[in-house]
Amino acid sequence: MKRNFVLAGLAAIGLALTATAALAQAQDSALAQARANGLIGEQADGYLGVVPGATISADLRGRVDQNNIQRRQLYTRRAAERSVSVNEMAAAVACEVFERPRIAVGEKYRNEAGQWRQRTAGAAIDVPSFCGD
Amino acid sequence: MRAALLTSLGAAVLAAGCIPVQIQAPDEPIEINLNVNIRQEVIVRLERDAAELLDQNADLFGGTTP
Repeated sequence: MKRNFVLAGLAAIGLALTATAALAQAQDSALAQARANGLIGEQADGYLGVVPGATISADLRGRVDQNNIQRRQLYTRRAAERSVSVNEMAAAVACEVFERPRIAVGEKYRNEAGQWRQRTAGAAIDVPSFCGD
Repeated sequence: MRAALLTSLGAAVLAAGCIPVQIQAPDEPIEINLNVNIRQEVIVRLERDAAELLDQNADLFGGTTP
């Protein structure tokens, strides 16, 4: 009897994990879509931003905020481990995003000066000056 | 006499060594701005951490693009 109860509990946990993973994936695709449509983009500060003039749903805005909250958590934890500021850790991640790049052709991004640009096949990405060589 | 001369010479030398030098503090506070360099250095140091964060949390960032 007790054993059955434990098994049921484990099954419930497994189901919950699967549901969470599915939700994360769903969030992913909505953000990826918005990214591809030029509504949102990566910023030189290490966070996602909404392109000015873009009309986005409350749902999408919520997803952007949620994504940034999660990013901030990651940055904060790692910054504490390395004794640097959260902004510095965020900027270091931005450098990776801009240099690798994790910005696809056609996507918009916000440069160090705060201007929104679109990545084109021909032009180099405007990488922040603090990124080094 | 000679001793007196030497003594006075010594006193003169000592006195010369003790001339007060007047240093005037500048009106404006000296400002050394090393922000940019420190920042860049820190970010270069964090490069491996940043790459690791990206790899371990690929769902939060855009996909890898060529």
